[in-house]
Amino acid sequence: MNAQTPVRIVMIEDDEGHARLIEKNIRRAGISNEIHHFTDGGSGLEFLFDHDAGPKLNGPALVLLDLNLPDMSGTDILAKIKGDEKLHRVPVVILTTTDDKVEIERCYDLGCNVYITKPVNYESFADAIRQLGLFLSVMQVPDADA
Amino acid sequence: MLGQNERQFNRLMLAGLIAGFLLLIVAFVLVVMGLRNSAQSAALVQHTYEVKDSLADLKIALERSESARRGYLLVPSKYRETVFRSSSQEILPTLNRIEGLVVDNPQQAARVQGMRPLVLQELAELHRSMDLALGGDLAAARAGFADTDSLAALRTIRAQASAISSVEEKLLGLRTGALEGTQQQLQWLLILTGVMLAAVAGFTFWLVRGFTRALIASREQLHVLNTDLEGAVRERTADLQRANDEIQRFAYIVSHDLRSPLVNVMGFTAEMERADKIVTDFVGRVEAHQPELVSDEVRLAAHEDLPEAIGFIRSSTQKMDRLINAILSLSRQGRRVLTPELLQMDRIVSEIADSLAVQAEERGATITVEKPLPEIFHDRLAIEQIISNLMENATKYLAIGRPGEIVVRGSVSGSRARFEIEDNGRGVAPDDHERIFELFRRSGQQDQKGEGIGLANVRALAYRLGGTVTVRSDLGSGSTFLVDLPVEFSGEGKE
Repeated sequence: MNAQTPVRIVMIEDDEGHARLIEKNIRRAGISNEIHHFTDGGSGLEFLFDHDAGPKLNGPALVLLDLNLPDMSGTDILAKIKGDEKLHRVPVVILTTTDDKVEIERCYDLGCNVYITKPVNYESFADAIRQLGLFLSVMQVPDADA
Repeated sequence: MLGQNERQFNRLMLAGLIAGFLLLIVAFVLVVMGLRNSAQSAALVQHTYEVKDSLADLKIALERSESARRGYLLVPSKYRETVFRSSSQEILPTLNRIEGLVVDNPQQAARVQGMRPLVLQELAELHRSMDLALGGDLAAARAGFADTDSLAALRTIRAQASAISSVEEKLLGLRTGALEGTQQQLQWLLILTGVMLAAVAGFTFWLVRGFTRALIASREQLHVLNTDLEGAVRERTADLQRANDEIQRFAYIVSHDLRSPLVNVMGFTAEMERADKIVTDFVGRVEAHQPELVSDEVRLAAHEDLPEAIGFIRSSTQKMDRLINAILSLSRQGRRVLTPELLQMDRIVSEIADSLAVQAEERGATITVEKPLPEIFHDRLAIEQIISNLMENATKYLAIGRPGEIVVRGSVSGSRARFEIEDNGRGVAPDDHERIFELFRRSGQQDQKGEGIGLANVRALAYRLGGTVTVRSDLGSGSTFLVDLPVEFSGEGKE
């Protein structure tokens, strides 16, 4: 990861339980980056675009995005991020229960970087998140300012 | 309602026909009677004229004989002699003919009889004087002619003949009058019959017309109903399609939304298990070092209650996960676009049989495919799923102690193709024939893995393809699953 400015993890996930499990498993994978959790799309977008600590104004970030949100569809958020000239390089990991082929294709078309289906089986789930953690630990996240 | 009308119509129609025929027979009889009547009167007329003619002939013969005789007596000539002979010869036969003609009427016969002696007498007189004259004794003959009043005799005969003639004419008048009376009656009867026939004809015509009208009306009604029915069916199909779509969407959303909490339940159960392991280890360590701190309750909770509870939560959530996945895959199949193609069922079924061969052998079953199977135009995946599911079931649910024999056969009748998957397995109780096609329902002994999805899926697929799946079976004696499909997939009306 970027050595100078720590990468923020922005997690937009309406289910508190899922968020907690994701966070736990990320931590277990040894990732200690700051995690900003939002339970709805509106506040998530606000942080991404307008918050002082948000990736638009400050520092690199990685977005963990759920598709089923109470106020808007995750694909809308994905489209907004990928449509923004400054944010479009921000890696977006879709982490959702939807395993519909059409939906997956659509997300990749919109520019999502990784699409992970949440397995109901917890072992696989934990495994997936831990692997994601490993992935995060080696991946390079471009600085938004760059 | 219509049936009763029809019966009534038939009865009336029959009555009309019978009446018509009877009237025709009556008319025929009347006509025959009339003909006979007129023939009779014609015969009578002829009879009368014959009598009158003969009387006239008699008179003429007598007169001619008389005049020939006189002429001969005055101036004898061969010609007069010849005329006399031919005329006098006719007299007796003519008299006999008249007698024969009036023999049926005693009065007339008596009159003729009365006339006969006069005629004979006259004839004798004629011959006598002619014989004399011919013998050369002309004078004697002339003298004889002067003595006898031949004219008076002739006059009497003439009067007699006229009397007979007029009586005959009077009789004719009477007889033909009577006949004319009956003739007229017959005519009236004939007219009456004609009128009745016309009435019957009119009635039956009216009846037929009414009936035909009713038929046409009911046919039109039927037509309207038919077209209505088509519309209604279309509407119903559209409704069903909508409802089906709704259910599919519903199933999809529900199964999705059920998944989220399930992830939590399973996730935190796992977390709990982790924590439990730590706690249990700790309890174990405490027990080892300071057993007095660990009560039975704590031991029970750590070693039995917690693992047990967690185990149940786990197995239940796993089951729930399987069910949700099943619903999800069903709904996904329902949303899948069907792409029909020509399917060589011989090959497809053989391939399925090959893929099941190992499994079947392990279970002790053999699969026979009775070729040829009909070719159909359908979605390959859907057909494969239907057939392979039914075949797999057949290898799965064997009767205990009986090697499985599975036979697949097919036939075409009209626009429908029919496939049969027959087994000699444990069978399905008649009460369960519908139940086995319901989602999550199973029947019989639960010794095989399964969620009760397969047949529900098979039936849903068959419905989508415009077909049906039914089972024919008795408990213990094997079952036959019948797949009835249109030979050609005609589309679902949408997608």
